[in-house]
Amino acid sequence: MNRAQKIAWLFVITISLAAVISCIAFIVAYFMVGMPKALASLGFMGIAGIGGFGPLIFGKDKGNVTFDERDKQIKRRAALASFGASYMVVGAVCMIPFFILGPKASISITWLPSIFGAAGICAFFTHSVAILIQYREGAGR
Amino acid sequence: MSNEHIINHVRKLRFENGQMTQQQLADRVGVTRQTIIAIESGKYSPSLPLAFKLARTFGVPIEKVFQYEGDDNPLHEILKTEP
Repeated sequence: MNRAQKIAWLFVITISLAAVISCIAFIVAYFMVGMPKALASLGFMGIAGIGGFGPLIFGKDKGNVTFDERDKQIKRRAALASFGASYMVVGAVCMIPFFILGPKASISITWLPSIFGAAGICAFFTHSVAILIQYREGAGR
Repeated sequence: MSNEHIINHVRKLRFENGQMTQQQLADRVGVTRQTIIAIESGKYSPSLPLAFKLARTFGVPIEKVFQYEGDDNPLHEILKTEP
């Protein structure tokens, strides 16, 4: 397993863990304090930030060559996948309320940073999953 | 591009060239060992420059390392029409 795979695993684990904890906390808080305050439990998504320490935790790979054309190809495809996924998330978050609430409805501007955060988390998660899948299946078919 | 019809003899050539290890070959052609493993198992088709580097390392023409085995291979048509 190379450095990119280790970092990707850390991202997948931390983001998944953060999502599960946030969901549990949200459900508990929803019944205890109601909907608006329950949203504060999404702060648990901050756990996903631990994944950002991956490059510091995992040192460089041993060997003369640590990055080659295959790694470059995998990285490029993962970046495309992550961009596509984040675009889909932003699209869904914008369009679903539009169709449910109607064109005359309005939402609080405080949702915008949340949408940005959700798109970012989705991009990192997809990037990591794409890297792991490609290395496992042997990219470049 | 699919590599379903591309076969390679990297593993065989590696052993014919003094039992070269995957790491030694990787260092010679400037890639990681993982890439050599992926090429040998047919999961990754290398770029043309890397394919030439591999062939040059083994001291053989590129056709001895990689072969295309598709039905639309023009060589197959030529061989079929030859008496």
